[in-house]
Amino acid sequence: MSHPMTDAGDASDIGRRDRVVSGLPGTRWLRRQIDTRPAWFFLSPAIVVLLLLSIFPFIYSFWLSFHQWNLSDRTAGWTFVGFGNYVRILTGDPYFWSAARVTLAFLLVTITLEFLLGLGIATVVSQESRALGAIQTIVVLPMMITPVVVGLIWRFMYNPDHGIINYVLGKVGIAGPAWLGDARTGFWAVVVADVWEWTPFMALILLAAMQSLPREPLEAAVVDGASRWQAYRSIVLPLLRPAIGVALLLRGIDAFKTFDLIYVLTQGGPGTSTQVLSLYTYKWGFKFFELGYAAALAYLMVLAVDLAATFGLRALERRT
Amino acid sequence: MDVLARGGPIERVVRRAIIVLMLAGFVLPIALIVVTAFKTRVDALEGSPFALARPTLENYGHLFGEYDFGHFARNSFIASVASTAIALALGALAAYGLARFRFRGSGALAFWVLSLRMTPAIATIIPLFVMLRAARLIDSLPGLVIVYTVANLPLVVWMMKGFFEDLPIDMEESALIDGNSRFGAFLDIALPLAAPGLSATAILTFIFTWNEFLFALILTGRNAQTLPVAVTLFVRETGIDWGYMTAAASLMMLPMVIATLFVRRGLARGLTMGAVK
Repeated sequence: MSHPMTDAGDASDIGRRDRVVSGLPGTRWLRRQIDTRPAWFFLSPAIVVLLLLSIFPFIYSFWLSFHQWNLSDRTAGWTFVGFGNYVRILTGDPYFWSAARVTLAFLLVTITLEFLLGLGIATVVSQESRALGAIQTIVVLPMMITPVVVGLIWRFMYNPDHGIINYVLGKVGIAGPAWLGDARTGFWAVVVADVWEWTPFMALILLAAMQSLPREPLEAAVVDGASRWQAYRSIVLPLLRPAIGVALLLRGIDAFKTFDLIYVLTQGGPGTSTQVLSLYTYKWGFKFFELGYAAALAYLMVLAVDLAATFGLRALERRT
Repeated sequence: MDVLARGGPIERVVRRAIIVLMLAGFVLPIALIVVTAFKTRVDALEGSPFALARPTLENYGHLFGEYDFGHFARNSFIASVASTAIALALGALAAYGLARFRFRGSGALAFWVLSLRMTPAIATIIPLFVMLRAARLIDSLPGLVIVYTVANLPLVVWMMKGFFEDLPIDMEESALIDGNSRFGAFLDIALPLAAPGLSATAILTFIFTWNEFLFALILTGRNAQTLPVAVTLFVRETGIDWGYMTAAASLMMLPMVIATLFVRRGLARGLTMGAVK
C-alpha cells in the first residue's frame, strides 16, 4: 500500500503524526480532525496558483480602473482619475447603457426560450425509455461543439445569397432578408442561434433531474387516480424546482457573459443592436487599448454577476 | 418520470415524431457543414444545400496547405492537454483537501473557488494580458497554458470534490491504520477509486479549453494561435470562403463529438459544478 512518495517530505511526516489515532473505532474521525495541517498540504498548491493568477490580477485591475492608461501610446503611463472612469461610464456613455439594455434583453429572452424548450424536451424524452442515451448524446452536441463554430454554422445558414434559410424560403416564394445585416432581424437572429446552442444545456440538466426523482410520490399519485397532467404539475415540477433554479442561475450568468457567438455573427451590429457588455468592454480594452476604462467596465460587470449570483444562490437555498 | 409514461399508441407515435423533429433540428445544421466541406467552391454557393454532386477533398487540401491548419491544431492540442493535466493535478489535490477535512473557513474557501468560475472572462483577461505582456509571454504556448490552467482549476476542484465525497471513507481509514501517510492514502486509494470521475473531469476540461475563444483571441498572435481564433481569420479576409470554413469547422467538431460520447454520463454533473447529479 505504501507509495515511494510517502518516504520523503511533508506528506510522510503528516502521515506519521496522524497514525497516533489509529486505535479509534469511530468511522468519521477522518473528517473531524483537529489537526488540519494535512488539509493545507493538499490545498496550498491550488490556492497559491489561484492567489497569484486570480486574486492578484483582480486587485491589480481594480486599481487600474481608477486610472487612464492607453496602451497604444507607448510614452503614456497611468494617470490617476479617481472615480472618473466610473462616472463617465454611468453618466456620460450612452453606448454603455445601450449595451446594458441589449445584454439584459438578450439574457431574458434567451434563458426564457431555452428554459421552456429545454423543459419540453426533457419532459418528452424522459417518457421514452428506449435509446435514451443516444438521444441525449445528439441533444447535447450543439453545446459541446466550439461556440465559434456554432457562430459560423449560423452565419452560413443566415447568408442572404446562398444560406439554407433563404434558399428554403425562396422555394416557397418568400424573399428572406439579410438576417444578420438587418437592424430589425439582427438581434433575433442571434437569439435563435443562442437558443439552438444552449437549449441542450437546459434539457440535459432537467432530464438528469427528472431521472433522479423519487418514484414513490409519483406512484402514489397515479394509484390515487391523479391524471398525468395533475401529477406532472403538482409533483414533478415542484420536485424539479432546485434543478430549475440551478439551471437558470448558471445559464443566466453565462448568457450575461456571451461573447464568442456575437463576435462571430455580428460583431455587435447592425448599429449597436447586438452589442452586449462583454463585446463593448472588449472593444475598449483591445481595440482602443483604453485599459483603465475597460477595467472599470469589467468591474461593473463583475459587480452585476456577483449581485445576481449572491441573490440567486440565496433564493435557491431558501427554496431547497 | 417513467411512472407517467403510459399513454396509448397514438400518443407514443406523436411523442416519437416530436423527438425525431427535435433531433433533426439539432443535427441538420451540423450535417450541413459537414456536407458543404466536401463541395467544390461553385457547388457550395449554388444548388441544393444537401446535394453532393461532385464530392471533393480540395477544401481539406487547401486547409492543410496554404492555411496551415496543422499549426493551429497543434497549438490547440498542446494548450488543451497541458493545461488540463496541470489543472487536474493541482485541482484533485485541493478537491481531496476540501472533501476530507473540515476546518474553519473550508466552506468559505470552496465558495471562493466557485465564485472564480462565475467571474466574467473579460474581467480576468485585462490584468492577465498586462501581466503576460510584462513577462513577455504574449503569443506563447506557455502563457496560454498558464491562463487556461487557472481558468480550469475551479471546475476541476468542484467536480473532483464531489467525486471524492462520494467515496466511502473506510478504505482510506484502513490505509492510514496500516501505516500509510495521508498522501499515500490519497494516491493509492482515493485517486484510483475516483478514476471515472477523474476522466470525466479531464474530458470536460479538455472540451472547454479546446473551445475557448476570448483568451486566445487576446493573448495570441500567429505563433500560439489556437483553432477557434484561426478559423475566424477566414472571415476577415475577402469575404468568407465557405469551403475552407466548413472543412475547418468539421475538423474542429470531430474531437468534441468523440469526447462527448465518453463524457455523457458525467455531463450534467460537471456543467452544474456538482449541483445536479
